[in-house]
Amino acid sequence: MSDGPLIVQSDKTLLLDVDHLLADDCRRAIAAFAELEKSPEHIHTYRLTPLGLWNARAAGHDAEHVIDTLLKYSRFAVPHALLVDIAETMSRYGRLRLEAHPVHGLVLVSHDPAVLKEVTRGKKIAPMLGLQLDDETIIVHPGQRGFLKQALLKLGWPAEDFAGYVDGEHHEIALREEGWSIRKYQAMAAEGFWHGGSGVVVLPCGAGKTIVGAAAMAHAKATTLILVTNTVAARQWRDELLRRTTLHEDEIGEYSGAKKEIRPVTIATYQVMTMRRNGLYSHLDLFDAIDWGLIIYDEVHLLPAPIFRFTADIQSRRRLGLTATLVREDGMEGEVFSLIGPKRFDVPWKEIESQGYIAPADCVEVRVTLTDAERLNYATAEVEDRYRFCSTTATKHKVAVALAKQHEDEQVLVIGQYLDQLDALGEDLGAPVIKGDTPVKERERLFNLYRAGEIKCLVVSKVANFSIDLPDATIAIQVSGTFGSRQEEAQRLGRVLRPKADGRGARFYSLVARDTVDQDFAANRQRFLAEQGYAYRIIDADDVLFGNRS
Amino acid sequence: MSNSLSDALRSKNDVEIAELFRARPDLISPVPADIGALAARANSMPSVMRACEALNKWQFDILTALCALSEPISLIELLAVTSKDAQATVHELEAKALIYKDGEHYRVPTNVRTLIGDTPAGLGPRGTATLDFGLLATAPKGALEILERMMWGPPKGQIADIKKAPAHIKWLLENKFLLAFDSQTVLLPREVAMHLRNGKIFKEIVPTQPPLKGTSRKQKDVDQAAIANISTIIRWVEELAHNWSDEPPTALRSGGLGVRDLKHSAEHLGIDEGCAAFVAEVTYIAGLVVIDSDDAILPTSAFDIWLSRSMDEKWYALACLWLESSRMSGLVGRGDSKSVSALGPELDRPGTPTLKKLTLALLSANPELDPELASMHENISWLAPARANSSYTEWILREAEWLGLSGQGAISTFGKRFLESDDLGIDDALPKPVDHILIQSDNSAIAPGPLTLEVANAMGTIADIESRGGATVYRFSETSIRRGLDHGQTGEAIIDFLRKTSKTPMPQPLEYLIVDVAKRHGRLRVGVATSYIRCEDEGLIAQIIHDRKLDGFGLRKLAPQVLIAESESAELISTLREAGYLPAAENQTGVLVSAPKLRRSKSRPKPPRSLTEPAAPLDVAIDAALRSLRVGEKATSHKPREVPRTSANETVELLHHYIAERSTLTIGYADTNGGVSNRMIEPKSISLGTLVAFDHSSGEIIHFRIPRITGVSLAE
Repeated sequence: MSDGPLIVQSDKTLLLDVDHLLADDCRRAIAAFAELEKSPEHIHTYRLTPLGLWNARAAGHDAEHVIDTLLKYSRFAVPHALLVDIAETMSRYGRLRLEAHPVHGLVLVSHDPAVLKEVTRGKKIAPMLGLQLDDETIIVHPGQRGFLKQALLKLGWPAEDFAGYVDGEHHEIALREEGWSIRKYQAMAAEGFWHGGSGVVVLPCGAGKTIVGAAAMAHAKATTLILVTNTVAARQWRDELLRRTTLHEDEIGEYSGAKKEIRPVTIATYQVMTMRRNGLYSHLDLFDAIDWGLIIYDEVHLLPAPIFRFTADIQSRRRLGLTATLVREDGMEGEVFSLIGPKRFDVPWKEIESQGYIAPADCVEVRVTLTDAERLNYATAEVEDRYRFCSTTATKHKVAVALAKQHEDEQVLVIGQYLDQLDALGEDLGAPVIKGDTPVKERERLFNLYRAGEIKCLVVSKVANFSIDLPDATIAIQVSGTFGSRQEEAQRLGRVLRPKADGRGARFYSLVARDTVDQDFAANRQRFLAEQGYAYRIIDADDVLFGNRS
Repeated sequence: MSNSLSDALRSKNDVEIAELFRARPDLISPVPADIGALAARANSMPSVMRACEALNKWQFDILTALCALSEPISLIELLAVTSKDAQATVHELEAKALIYKDGEHYRVPTNVRTLIGDTPAGLGPRGTATLDFGLLATAPKGALEILERMMWGPPKGQIADIKKAPAHIKWLLENKFLLAFDSQTVLLPREVAMHLRNGKIFKEIVPTQPPLKGTSRKQKDVDQAAIANISTIIRWVEELAHNWSDEPPTALRSGGLGVRDLKHSAEHLGIDEGCAAFVAEVTYIAGLVVIDSDDAILPTSAFDIWLSRSMDEKWYALACLWLESSRMSGLVGRGDSKSVSALGPELDRPGTPTLKKLTLALLSANPELDPELASMHENISWLAPARANSSYTEWILREAEWLGLSGQGAISTFGKRFLESDDLGIDDALPKPVDHILIQSDNSAIAPGPLTLEVANAMGTIADIESRGGATVYRFSETSIRRGLDHGQTGEAIIDFLRKTSKTPMPQPLEYLIVDVAKRHGRLRVGVATSYIRCEDEGLIAQIIHDRKLDGFGLRKLAPQVLIAESESAELISTLREAGYLPAAENQTGVLVSAPKLRRSKSRPKPPRSLTEPAAPLDVAIDAALRSLRVGEKATSHKPREVPRTSANETVELLHHYIAERSTLTIGYADTNGGVSNRMIEPKSISLGTLVAFDHSSGEIIHFRIPRITGVSLAE
């Protein structure tokens, strides 16, 4: 019995003991076929999924390799049934193939007529298929490539896609590494994506996902459509691309509410893409405006449903999804994977932190005890109003102000959900407030002042949850949020994770009203970060109020 | 006069009889009275069947061949039609009393012959005519094909009509190469078949066991796989029993585990239903669970003892019981109507232990070999032709694998040691139990190996299991902590335990979680009270609670102004009044009620019966009574009450006659039980074999079935 770092569980999870000598080797070896599920301090959890195993097949690993790896690193004997299952699952890959037929276009091919028969009998699949040419070949209706792949995956017969990607219109793009150089993990992520053709890259906030996008564009050397969450993010992308690549200003267009430019590299917002006129998505034509060689989806966890549907139609174009937090409270992670492509790269946040590319963060939950009057009001409030009530109490306000005052020498962000709460805080702190109705120009002006250090404190609503690059913010104070959203919590922490010039750590305060639903939601919100190894510290609000500086 | 089986047995010496007893143990219990009784028993059908089932293919074939030859059978003849290797086998069969000696020849006991059947090895009856096989050379077209089709049996052939048989069949019949059995059936005589078979009875006859084919494995890998399986099966068994303790399934009325419960268990264990059925079965045969008298399936006290035993002991118990059990868990869900259920009464299959032992012996004889199913089945079929069944073979192989008797299909070291009753050494091969856990900041804890019983029990109450296997992943949640508190733990005790057990520092959020839950746990209390006393004067409340006269009411102070009591409010009120207080009752909404609520029974009124004087009857009633009296008179005055007897023809004739005359008749009428009674009737008509008549005794028109009428006479 070896004394390896890996424990293979019968539910197909793999537990990796990160303190083990061989942990690093093992992590690299299993990353090819197992998906990282969580990475707290001591034991990381990976999972063997059919999708992961098929991706490994697609990347050229065979079942024997997977089994050998497991046996090599496993601490205990591996259940034989699990090994048999792995071999069986992997053998299903590639029995069906999507190919480009010189005459009939896209065809589904299999040398195993039984499998072909089984899948063509599926009710969902039959309408996507056309004429059967011979025992082994069936025509696929044009435009169904994405849906067919998705449906086949669900049936457990993933199709190997040999139909290839369209190259799109050529456009020369290269990285301009002057005074900076691409980080190793960024290069690996871009290569991982390029090798797989399409897929999602998961990197922590502040770890430089834009660079991964730029590197992917340099690989593609083709016209690129970039979809981002809002106009501010679009401009950030533009600036970053100008700084990091050989692209010129007139090569990059912005397609937003304000401007409708279509250029070789076009940055569009999700908002404008999903805008409807007379019940029609009038801007979806953008997808066909140019023969795009690459489509990048920034913050892909926010991908809105219409774009989901459209993505299924453009399976022949290369697609890159970027995100820090691929958790959707609506459980649509699977859709993202099957439409954009599988996860191509993922790395524990703490690992990037240990390499110094994101700032170490101290997460603090501040427990606020409500006054008796507040508790009574809370208890009698309507159930649907309770969260709003307890997360906007006066006591919380007082604590938030005290905390901000404590850190008045540092760059502070106060983040919240409820606008009147934010307005009140802005007033008491003498800080500007940025919310949904703040014009883009004003937002940019305030962000620039903040970056320059002329404003020390900003109060922001959920418009600043993601994509806003504020390198010097070190303190975030969260006063309220979108209920139990895990990704929001992580994204908000992400605002302060850019490495600081002086190597300082960041601090993230989350104010939670004790003994209320706020506390339950907070527990759920913190799960993603806790699973990434961010251990929350709990302090009492009284310690803040009465000066015991933590 | 030929020798009989009892004569043959009588001539055996003690050693030979002892050998017979060893070969056929059913003959010795109970001990037969004399050799005659022994012979009778040896020739009894059940015993013969049992003995024949224990034969291998070769022995069975030789016995069949013996049955195909005419008695007395000479050894030379047998060897000629089979193989010269048969000689030793004849002695084996003779030792088992499946054949017996008659001088230099052999005979077959009648029931052995019956068992083998009329057409041994597909050979038909003997013909009587002498045959000229030379004629076959001149056979018409198609005749030889007919013979070839019948030569390996069955020796019967169907044709449309023997009189109109086609020419070639006619030729065969004329030359006695076929015999006519009836107008549509022809038979191939034994001599012809033997001639066509070139004088041999069997196409091929294999005196030795076929070699076992399969994939070769390395013993090290085999043992690795086996040990994983061993730890897994024991974990499954314990997990299942724990699960059933939490949510006991209800047994079906027919006994056994319902399909839905089986599915639930399979999901719980994360295995397929076939495997879950097997786990349920071994748990059941090991006595770890039992179907209670109220149909709940629950772990037994033996399970608690089991938990404290070593892995060696646990596995040995499972393997032993499995091996000896005649239950075939593979049958679960396979019945024609899907009615065969795990733990149910329909799983027993005779011969299962033998098949299991044969399978293990085969695996054991071929170490480092993962046999192909087909080859395994071929072997089993040779060893026990009467019992072999390819599904059973498949199930036994997979069960042996689940149990870890084999690993990767080949016999494991543990399986071998088990068969040789050696020290198993499982405890040494399994990872050592650990007594610590690693707590992480996401409120999960990991036991990096099998936990000691004590820690596992403690963790089980305060955390939920998220993932099982070599390690166990636990998750703490509000619910799990509350469960721990419900089990009588305190917040401090839980924190102490975790601090002591965890190798990693306790994350602060978890500590807060435990403290928070402990703080809230039990803050709300629920109890039972039958009535209460409330009073704004706290002094009076104090006085009441100290009043000796009210001692029996179990008064308890809940709040300064509230007492609760265990008695009904009415009783409490009257006692309080007696004690000199001035209580008043209040209703559910706290409103004072001026008088105690009147008490009412919830049952419906049920007044007692009373004996009353009869009132004068109504005229209608008197009329009815009179009419009835008259009829009664008419019926009883017909004395002596003889049942009239007339013949069937007479009956119908008389009836027609009296219908026309409109007379009152007496008939004898048989009821469904054959009893005959007298009826006084006025016949109306006859239709469809029934007589329609007015019956005086019932006062109704009744249909009498004529065949049941025993006789008719005019009423006097």
